[in-house]
Amino acid sequence: MFANFRLAMTWLHTWFGLVLGFILMAAFFFGALSVFDREIDRWAIPETRFAPQHMPSFDAVLKPVYEKLKPHPDDMVATQKRVIGDLPHPDTLTISSLYAYTTHRDPVLTIGAEFDIPNELKDAADEHAHVHGWATIDPRSGEFLSDDKLKIGSNWFYPMHYRLNWSWMLVGYWLVGLAGFIMLVALVTGVIIHRKIFREFFTFRPWKRTQRSALDLHNLTGVVAFPFHFFFAFTGLVIFASWLYFPVGDTLLRPLHKQHEVVEAQRTGLPNEPAGVPAPLASVDAMILEAKRRWAARDMPGEVGLLFINHLGDINGYVSLYRAGSDQVALVGQAIHFKASTGEVLREEPPPSVVGSINEFLTGLHLQHFEHWLLRWLYVLGGLLGCVCIATGFIFFVEKRKRKHAESGSQGSRIVDALAVTTVTGMLIATIGMLVVNRVLPADLVGKGDWEKLAFWGFWLLALLHALWRSAPVAMAARNPAWAEQCRVLAALAFLAVATNWLTTGDHLLKTVFIDTYWPVAGLDLSLLVGALIAAWAGGRLACKSTSFPGMKQEGEAYE
Amino acid sequence: MNEALWLLLAALTALLGMAWLALAMPMHWKQVFTHTAVQPSTAILRLLGCLSLLVSACCCVMADSLSMAVLVWLMLLAGAAFMVAMLLARYPTLLRIFWP
Amino acid sequence: MINTTDQARALSTSHRLHASMRDRLHLFVVARIAAALLGGYAFTWGFTAFGITGLVALGGDFHEAETALMLIAFLVYLPLFLWAFVATSLFRVWAVLGGGALVMTAVAWGLQQVLLS
Repeated sequence: MFANFRLAMTWLHTWFGLVLGFILMAAFFFGALSVFDREIDRWAIPETRFAPQHMPSFDAVLKPVYEKLKPHPDDMVATQKRVIGDLPHPDTLTISSLYAYTTHRDPVLTIGAEFDIPNELKDAADEHAHVHGWATIDPRSGEFLSDDKLKIGSNWFYPMHYRLNWSWMLVGYWLVGLAGFIMLVALVTGVIIHRKIFREFFTFRPWKRTQRSALDLHNLTGVVAFPFHFFFAFTGLVIFASWLYFPVGDTLLRPLHKQHEVVEAQRTGLPNEPAGVPAPLASVDAMILEAKRRWAARDMPGEVGLLFINHLGDINGYVSLYRAGSDQVALVGQAIHFKASTGEVLREEPPPSVVGSINEFLTGLHLQHFEHWLLRWLYVLGGLLGCVCIATGFIFFVEKRKRKHAESGSQGSRIVDALAVTTVTGMLIATIGMLVVNRVLPADLVGKGDWEKLAFWGFWLLALLHALWRSAPVAMAARNPAWAEQCRVLAALAFLAVATNWLTTGDHLLKTVFIDTYWPVAGLDLSLLVGALIAAWAGGRLACKSTSFPGMKQEGEAYE
Repeated sequence: MNEALWLLLAALTALLGMAWLALAMPMHWKQVFTHTAVQPSTAILRLLGCLSLLVSACCCVMADSLSMAVLVWLMLLAGAAFMVAMLLARYPTLLRIFWP
Repeated sequence: MINTTDQARALSTSHRLHASMRDRLHLFVVARIAAALLGGYAFTWGFTAFGITGLVALGGDFHEAETALMLIAFLVYLPLFLWAFVATSLFRVWAVLGGGALVMTAVAWGLQQVLLS
């Protein structure tokens, strides 16, 4: 079929890029938003608009909080399906392990715990006889925050990025994984089929016809951010590789893995199993002090990022304190483990090996716990360049074929174009529409988060229907007016989001920038305004061009 | 010197380097200067461009630890190259400031 | 009259020819995609299992070996995926990918038995 190597590469680039491009677009766009997920949370949940906090005192604040924590109703339902017989009442279950996790951008604290259950499991290979509980608290007071309020940034946009919020059978993870792998394929094949990488490195000719200028922009955004595209697709795959994409250690090599864990427990002195002998918990605050002292002595002073207690209330229990990775590319690290009942140091983890360091660098550069605002914004730029690259890929595909399709009566380019509208402007409408709905719905509405999710999908579905409804001109080699119309809707929604934030919280930009500076909210508001201006401008440009005669040389055209 | 200042310097030298690399190409030189100036040798412009990018890398290392600096530098290069390409497309004469 | 029937016949033959070519094309594409995606995946799976047990057999740490192989896995998968589309013989693609997957998985399993005993 393929006459030569180059044609094979072109075919791969075109068709895999097209089919998986729609998913890649979501991965890139929501990835770019996830860089500021905590800040979006602050915007969406106004009562959490205060300064980031360090890990609070365990003895004074967290201990009573964990005593109140109960298994989450959602996980009770999920766990009931895995076990034989009825689960005991959640209030009677006791915690076997717990964690608290924070970063330099978190005002609120995420906590969670595993509760032991006496039931037998249906699946003999399933070793997880636990039910989970989790909550978000105000670390200043230890107060629980309402579970009804969706953290739109970290619990909706962020999971969109890596699993499309589609958890059934892990389909979302597999689709995003496949798309990420195809991104690598598209990058390699793209380099092979691009004849003039260096000669056209800076080339963008918006005055040429759309097909040419879209290809220019496609090449430009793909090439200048090549390292970003490659390493983010690659590290994204690596992050999930051992758990999901190549879980050899949990399947074929499970016996070897188990044996290693037992040996490891002996070597490190961190017990793998509880002893069954109850023991009290010593002061964790004293352990935190000791950990900070040891980090400072190693010339890397820092705060606790992750606190983990295993086998709580057992003589084998231990407390692990991980240093927050604010000043490094790698994530939390430099763990120090304490015996829970006495507070003596069991083990101070040595620096990682070479392989471990490479892995920490690669996963860390993707998951970005570091404190570096310039690099964060540059990542947003990289993500948006990726979006432009994919979007212009769609446009080039359509432009290249629509005249031929118009002659042969094919509907191919019309459908692709409508889907492109849906994934480009439609996705933005869904995102910003969700933010508007978040501000318009009353704060104490029961199930508010569910309404917001519904609004998100609803806006997106409407955008798809609109794009399909308006798509007829593409079959006659003209432009779909939905591009311009959705740009205008987008501009209006983005202005509305900023306005409703002001009206419902009183946080207008003058206040958040100058009077009572709060960058998380100001940054999102400013980004929305810039987005609104770009969308309005693009909408105007697209609208005046769509009146031109189909097939006429369209100059000065740009989809940015 | 302050970290932010080093990063600003890194960004500026990255932009300068990319601008010089673009000006080293006759096609882009013509876009910027039309016929008002004769292009100096491409080798010189290319050398200046590469040196400037190297300076940018050094500034990144001054601001952050090496592992972080690598990331910042690569992303600055992407941003700078994209900006130069956009300037060439929309306001090419603005690039004249890089070769007074 | 005869002329038009001839034309019609010629046209329908060409259509039929065209249709059969299209079918062959589709079959070709589907077979290649399957080989690249599934064959490549199976090979990479076998490779990671073999690599981990191999490193452990050489005295490496299990998690260390697992991490190393996870870093390499997609860099192995990627060229295999591309190769499946350019190789001249589909049979050879399946022989290498499928055969490699089976052999490496079997060796990994055998090596694990030896290591555990």
